[in-house]
Amino acid sequence: MFDFRSVWDVVLLVGLVVAIAPWFGAYLGRVYMNRPAFGDAILAPIESALYRLLGTSPRSAMRSSEYMLAVLFVNGGVFVFLFVFLALQHALPLDATGAPNMHWTLAFHSAASFTTNTDFTHFTNESQLSLGALMVAWPLALFLSAATGLSVAAAMVRGFVRKDGTLGNFYVDLVRTMTRVLMPLAFLLALALVLLGVPETLTNYAIAHPLTGGTQTIYLGPVASFQAISFLGTNGGGFYSTNAASPLANPSAVSDLLGTFAMMLIPFSTPFAFGQIVRRKGEAWPFMGTILIVFAIALGLFVAYQAAVNPALAGLSGLGPQTAGYPVGQETRFGLTDGSLFQVVSVYTNTGANNMQIGALAPVAQLVLLFGMFTQSTPGGDGTGFGMLLLFAILGIFVGGLMVGRSPEYLGKKVGTGHVKWAALALLTHPALILVPFVLAVAGGFVTVASGSLPASAHTFTAVLYEFTSEAANNGSALGASSFNDTTWFFNIAGGLVMLLGRFVPIFAMLKVGGMFSEESVLPPGPGTLRTASATFTVYITLFLIIVSVLLFLPVIALGPLAQIVGGP
Amino acid sequence: MDEDAPPPGSVVSVRRVPHTSIVRVLVDSFKLFRPGQQVRSPVMFCVYVLFLFLVGITLVPRVFPDLVGTYNPSYYLWITVILFLTLWFANVSTAIAEAQGRARADALRTIRSGIRARQVLPDGTTQWVPSDVLHVGDTVEIRPGEPVPMDGDVTQGAALIDEAMMTGESEPVTRESGGDKTSVLGGTQVLQGTARIRVTAVRGESFLDRLIRLVEGQGREPTPNELALGVLLSALTVALFTVVVTFVYLAHFTDIVTVDLGTIVALFVCLMPTTIGALLPAIGISGINRTARANVITKSGKAVEAAGDLDVLILDKTGTITVGNRLASQFVAAPGVPMPELLEGALLASSLDDTPEGRSIVRLAARRNAPTRRLEPGKFKVLPFTAERRMSGITLPDGVEVFKGSLQAMETYGAVLPLELRRAAAEASKEGMTPLAISFNRRAIGLVFLKDVVKPGIRDRLRELKTMGIRTIMCTGDNRLTAAAIARESGVDEYVAEARPESKLLLIDREKAKGRLVAMTGDGTNDAPALARADVGLAMNSGTSAAKEAGNMVDLDNDPTKLIEVVSIGKQLLITRGALTTFSITNDVAKYFAIIPAIFIGSGSATLPGIEIMNILGMTNPHLAVLSALLFNGLIIPILIPLAIVGVPFRPRSAIDLLRRNLILYGFGGLVSAFVGIKLLYLLLSYLSTTSFSAQVGGIVGHLLPLGGL
Repeated sequence: MFDFRSVWDVVLLVGLVVAIAPWFGAYLGRVYMNRPAFGDAILAPIESALYRLLGTSPRSAMRSSEYMLAVLFVNGGVFVFLFVFLALQHALPLDATGAPNMHWTLAFHSAASFTTNTDFTHFTNESQLSLGALMVAWPLALFLSAATGLSVAAAMVRGFVRKDGTLGNFYVDLVRTMTRVLMPLAFLLALALVLLGVPETLTNYAIAHPLTGGTQTIYLGPVASFQAISFLGTNGGGFYSTNAASPLANPSAVSDLLGTFAMMLIPFSTPFAFGQIVRRKGEAWPFMGTILIVFAIALGLFVAYQAAVNPALAGLSGLGPQTAGYPVGQETRFGLTDGSLFQVVSVYTNTGANNMQIGALAPVAQLVLLFGMFTQSTPGGDGTGFGMLLLFAILGIFVGGLMVGRSPEYLGKKVGTGHVKWAALALLTHPALILVPFVLAVAGGFVTVASGSLPASAHTFTAVLYEFTSEAANNGSALGASSFNDTTWFFNIAGGLVMLLGRFVPIFAMLKVGGMFSEESVLPPGPGTLRTASATFTVYITLFLIIVSVLLFLPVIALGPLAQIVGGP
Repeated sequence: MDEDAPPPGSVVSVRRVPHTSIVRVLVDSFKLFRPGQQVRSPVMFCVYVLFLFLVGITLVPRVFPDLVGTYNPSYYLWITVILFLTLWFANVSTAIAEAQGRARADALRTIRSGIRARQVLPDGTTQWVPSDVLHVGDTVEIRPGEPVPMDGDVTQGAALIDEAMMTGESEPVTRESGGDKTSVLGGTQVLQGTARIRVTAVRGESFLDRLIRLVEGQGREPTPNELALGVLLSALTVALFTVVVTFVYLAHFTDIVTVDLGTIVALFVCLMPTTIGALLPAIGISGINRTARANVITKSGKAVEAAGDLDVLILDKTGTITVGNRLASQFVAAPGVPMPELLEGALLASSLDDTPEGRSIVRLAARRNAPTRRLEPGKFKVLPFTAERRMSGITLPDGVEVFKGSLQAMETYGAVLPLELRRAAAEASKEGMTPLAISFNRRAIGLVFLKDVVKPGIRDRLRELKTMGIRTIMCTGDNRLTAAAIARESGVDEYVAEARPESKLLLIDREKAKGRLVAMTGDGTNDAPALARADVGLAMNSGTSAAKEAGNMVDLDNDPTKLIEVVSIGKQLLITRGALTTFSITNDVAKYFAIIPAIFIGSGSATLPGIEIMNILGMTNPHLAVLSALLFNGLIIPILIPLAIVGVPFRPRSAIDLLRRNLILYGFGGLVSAFVGIKLLYLLLSYLSTTSFSAQVGGIVGHLLPLGGL
């Protein structure tokens, strides 16, 4: 199944993204610097009208706590709206397929999931979701959650170039993200997907009469536009339950690669937006380097282990000639490499769209995906991924700064107790949000991992670990519910809380850290300052991120993916 | 009062190097086991609590039957002992650092004990009082053979004072009223002369007291970087605690593996940043000790750390960069005058000139083999140098006037200066030299150039500063040309010529406005405002009290380039902390690879291929694997104590070079040394257990801590 020629697809696509990223990142940066830019003639009047409507102006800057309140106000609004909509969806219009009202715990989980850019679903779209929710409630959340992430990252980065304690205006950032980034790109991408054969219609469903007799309901709707923002916003929620493995949502290898590109575009460009905003373009490269190194190792391991012979099947009689790889659950239309690229990109950008069955992957491949969610910053989701990377870097700079014998500083701003406190809080909350609910689930008997046989227990262990990791990282991909039942009230409530805390605690920390930087004056770079735009620093930050993640997660990795390996890796 | 009674309380000169008593260190290391002391370091306090917990289990294992599984007494005993050792090693490191400081403080204190003062009463008479009762502003008299009772300023008279016990400088210094040499230190010894001093500090506030307090570690506030590092280490500890506890629970109740309680404790202790946590207090204390050993008194630990961050250093030219006096460097003869004639003239004109400049002309002329002439005493007239005349020389018995002086003075005197000489003089001025003309009876025979001589070695020190990223600015009252020449020769980055007293202050303000950290050295009263304004102000001990009060450090050796040492100490302090933190973190990776496979092997579960990959150290005995990781974790503390006390080796380099180097040394080194160290300890323990430890060692230790049963 492994074809070396397909490696070119990966090289070309990643190469294309890396080539476009500096340019697109610079554009993103200009969007958040409120500079005159392409499209002002049409967009500026619309934006002014929206600002007036919202009663705000680009000139009224917020401090970190005010910015946080605005984030909570908007996202809280989205959350309440989704919760009410889902709990009452049967009573609301546009429920042509007859989806029932969601139980409040499921509505809670789903509302939290879509508000937090996670898009983890504990239900089946086709039978449990009304078309109204799909067409009205979901898109609102898909756009606003991605825009929130990008705005927060922009606000945090502004801290480096401001001295008055302010971080910008959240409403203005939100509007500009929509008008300048997400809406135009989503429109173009949807158009491209339609051309590739993805449905875009207001028809609810078509009835097919297959040869086997009976009837089959094929759900339809604005699939292309839904998929577009789902990819661009690193949301990952699919129109169909089968997500990107559905031939209607992802009809061909070309649409698969286009989707991959759309997921990568914003997260891979954000470091350059950062370079643009702090007016030091070279500073983007250490982050881009870190992202690329971790991503390349991840993809390499994933493909290598997926291409290897499954040792569990080796030696079994009656299977016929042994084919290499783990073909079960693999989407054969895209081939091993392209399919793997989509999956790794999807998890590493915290999109969480699936085009394969993760539960059937080689244990090491599962481990690779888990690792991406442990770091949640290589490159991570829109905005927040880069914010996390910056928090990692701040801790790294603190330790590294001591090692060069100067009080640590970054971009001319001192890194002190406050910054360390908040960065450590955000990064160390992550393991707690994964492990503590896991313990509660086991302690409360909500999941039974113990099965008597070790690989099976380890597999269930991995599935539960994957569930909470995906929720804590606001990823949304799932290992597959077949291993355990996650549609119980416990997993709904616990999962919902994990997603909310996993989203808003780091956001709070990012804004706090940005706010503290914004209150400091800028120190000029002297000859004794650590040059951060350098290869040494890139390698240092990469190793720091990998080692800290390994320290925090190696024990559970041993219990899950590593214990699952049978008969050789 | 009997005025001539000998002063009670003799002064002990403390030249010997203070030594630390091993017994005292041992006693202190056990005193530090007090919970009140332990709670200061959150990381070590966790180890402390776990240790007490294990003691409880070891004493009454039946209380925790569910937790300990199949209870193996010697395994638990070993873990408990190693935890005790870990805590004790941490205490020893702190005790050593404190003892070093205390030894110095004790030595200093003996100087002061029982000193009495001859107080001058308002009616002019004197009386003996204990020095404790003196107040700021009181006047005391000091006489030969008596100690100076308190820090003060000489208000009347002059005295030759031996400051060796404070500064280690064996050359006595003169202190006199007026000018910049008025300040005396309490505890020093008067050799000659009688003087009256006004007390400027009372007991408890003098420099001696301050030095004692600092080296004893009292009032040592944690610096901002220390606080931030503490936060990071605590956060890491809390996160790792969560990781370990949940891991154990999940492993146990999901039936994958069961973990022994002792192993859990060992795993947690191994993962906590105990190395840096244990050594953090010692690093901070010995930073202060090192500044004290460099004969610098700091007013706070913060100032030492600030020194590591310096961007700009403002230096005086005279006395710091140059030796202080101009010296003759070259002769230029007038057209038609033979060189020997010029040399002879120069020699004659300067032979009775006692200024350093004059002496240097004599030296240079003699080196060039100037013809000498015997001068009979009383047969010639000396024209001494005065500021108004600006020339000097002698009138020989035959009435010939041999004078030397500045070119303008020569013209006023009536000497004719050939054009060639004028041109050469102008050239020399451009290079920062001072030309003097020499004349025989109003006939200019040539020139001698005086040159500011840069101190030997100053160039290298300035280059060191440059590699550390510190910009140097030279401040001088000289004209622009001279300043530029000295700047070029010494390698300072910038200079301020024709400086006035307030120039330094303006310079500091200018640099601080740009957000830079500025240091300066100074000794005069007019330096005080600038010393106070600078982020690091190093005052010279020979300077006035005002200057010393204004700066945040005082150098007892009066060496302005001492600042370079202070900068190095500050940087070393930060690097040591950063390096040991990195070392702690990378060590953890290796410990995981020892303990996690051990847990799987120990729980009796089938050898899993995935776990086998992790067991790269090839350990088969789970208990010994855990013990060797834990033992390594403990033993690394005493191994690193010298590093914490002395500081990591520091050579000035660029920041990125330092990062690369320290990353390889302490990051990669931490990883490799832990793998190697744990494996070696494992081999050792395995050997001891197979050859029956009890039989080998015999006695109580072997019976109490049997390895064979593990």
